[in-house]
Amino acid sequence: MSATATSLTGAMLQWLNDHAAEGIFTTDMDLRIRSWNEWLHTATGLGASAAIGRDLFEVIPSLKERGFDAYYREALAGEVKVLSHKLHRFVVPSMRSGEQIPQSGRIAPLLEDGVVVGTITVIADVSERVVAEHELRAQIATAERARHVAEEASRVKDEFLATLSHEIRTPLNAVLGWTRILRSREHDAATLARAIEVIDRNASAQLTLISDMLDMARITAGKLRLGVGEVDLPATIKAAVDAVRPAAEARGIDIVLDASSSVPLLRGDADRLLQVFWNLLSNAVKFTDTGGHISIRITSFANEVRVAITDTGIGIAAEFLPQVFQRFKQADPSAARRHGGLGLGLALVRELVHLHGGSVGAESAGLQAGTTFTVVLPVPVAGTIARRESPPPQQKSVLSGIHILIVEDDADAREIVSTTVADAGASVTAVGSVAEALGTLRDNRSDRPDVVVADIGLPGADGYTLISEIRCLSPEEGGRLPVIAVTAYATAEDRRTALGAGFFAHIPKPFAPENLVSTIARAVEPTV
Amino acid sequence: MQLTTAQHDALVELLNIGFGRAGASLSSLTGHRVLLEVPHVAIHPIDQLNATLDEYMTGDVASVHQEFGGPVGGDAMLILDPVAASTLKELLTNEPALPLTLDASSREVLTEVGNILLNACLGTFGNLLKVPISFSVPALDVASIRAVVERLVGPAESFRYALVVTAGFRLRDAEVTGYVVIVLTVQSLTRLLVAVEEWERDQQG
Repeated sequence: MSATATSLTGAMLQWLNDHAAEGIFTTDMDLRIRSWNEWLHTATGLGASAAIGRDLFEVIPSLKERGFDAYYREALAGEVKVLSHKLHRFVVPSMRSGEQIPQSGRIAPLLEDGVVVGTITVIADVSERVVAEHELRAQIATAERARHVAEEASRVKDEFLATLSHEIRTPLNAVLGWTRILRSREHDAATLARAIEVIDRNASAQLTLISDMLDMARITAGKLRLGVGEVDLPATIKAAVDAVRPAAEARGIDIVLDASSSVPLLRGDADRLLQVFWNLLSNAVKFTDTGGHISIRITSFANEVRVAITDTGIGIAAEFLPQVFQRFKQADPSAARRHGGLGLGLALVRELVHLHGGSVGAESAGLQAGTTFTVVLPVPVAGTIARRESPPPQQKSVLSGIHILIVEDDADAREIVSTTVADAGASVTAVGSVAEALGTLRDNRSDRPDVVVADIGLPGADGYTLISEIRCLSPEEGGRLPVIAVTAYATAEDRRTALGAGFFAHIPKPFAPENLVSTIARAVEPTV
Repeated sequence: MQLTTAQHDALVELLNIGFGRAGASLSSLTGHRVLLEVPHVAIHPIDQLNATLDEYMTGDVASVHQEFGGPVGGDAMLILDPVAASTLKELLTNEPALPLTLDASSREVLTEVGNILLNACLGTFGNLLKVPISFSVPALDVASIRAVVERLVGPAESFRYALVVTAGFRLRDAEVTGYVVIVLTVQSLTRLLVAVEEWERDQQG
């Protein structure tokens, strides 16, 4: 080596010693430290003068404690050693802010003319890299979670749409099938009764399905309001039992209601609580085999009432139990085909019970081990509300002598409304548009209707136009007539809009005949 | 050049000893039991290496390359396909892998694993030949298998052979396969095989 090259090498070594961004130390064949750069001084607090000439493992005992002495022996035999941060964390102890700085390193033989003369150890501070990778990993994990949630939501939606399609078609199939059979020829009374029963049951099933969906949408939008009043819980549960009893009896399922203990009146929405227990009992009937047993036990405590509904049905697998109240979740979507339903019932139950300040839980010892649903409802702080002896008997509405103007563009719907009110004794004028309705009012001053029952979604001028036009008429022309909306615009918002526009009442389609009749009776009450 | 059955069996036995040492190192480093399965060994002329490795993997691969020198010299490389590389890294560090290009820590772990395995193979040969073997610093590269092989083959200045050792890692109920490729000159390979036969005779004697 020329003198210039030697001096350059010396200068380079000096520079590396003073400024290298890595820790570098060398040893001889006896593993005595021969050089120790400034980086190491800063990192370990040990200066070159204190390290050079001493045994490596005496200066850094942890190297031997962690088995690196073998690495140095192998380096002296010619092997190069890689010390990754992940597997070793650090090479030499170096504290900054009280924490060990993450390091990686290399241990290599130092060769002179192909002969090993010592070792060199190079140590890098990888803290910035470790932080960057940690952040990247966290970002990827967040994105991955979001993707998983989106995929799960999409899968649940697809499953729901498949179930929805099936659930909507199934009752329609029965309705249309029987309708076609009835039209094909004359049938005896028994067949006719059977057909009507099937059509009614299937149409009701579809109504329940759509109502459940709308209720769920209202709850999701925070728009479901409870009509709070006193609730006689045992009576409500008995009504739910009565509603499901025909289906249970048809399959030989025994339902026992134990309401022996005295239960105070609760505060709540009786219709919604009926919906809760109807849903739970329908579920129990649906998932209990023929000949099974369902028991309902109502227990009253100081602050709450517990209702436990236990069936001997197919039970719930432990892994599905936590998801049983989630929307659109069914333990086995293929079973949904067998048992029907959208997977909304239990989600609705939970939401409705929560709205009452209560809770609901499910227990099952597993598949084929039956299930117990327990609803807990709070008792009002004021204590027991005085019980009514019995609910007031339902007054049968009679519309005889009442003239009703029906405004409905759909001929079938018009006929149903007409027949319903005519059966209750009313006389009917039925028209299909707002113009016809206004014409009828103007032309029949002598026999002017007592009440108007109108659809809202009419072609051209709609129900809202009708009511504003009616209110512009003179009292003699019927300007103050009560107008009842019977409409498929069935949301709470639609109801508010209709009542705000001046409709006397808002009855969603499909309507229960007795509801329409009693509403008309109320509308005409002062004049009857 | 082809391996005789005796040479093949002896090489497998010798490499298995080296693999045992590598497995023990990895076990102690990771805290998991790491086993390296009994290796498969085959010799291919260097110009057939591309076709041979094409059978095992395509596309980009992660490779740890080390040159070695001394009385016996050549190139040694551990090659893992990207899935195997990620899986191995995940299994060793118990942490999800990032894409290798973004994850210097993963590249470092794989470099260390390659280093341990290559040292075990070549160290075995050094001990057998009773000659010191020196190593270059290992380097990890992510490139197409063709580019990797081209780098190994280089200019065809001498007639060389590639010893291809299939390395099956077993850890935490999973299996990852990598390939150790050791490129040797005819002279080096001949020396090695002579030493292998002597060792075999010593074992029997």
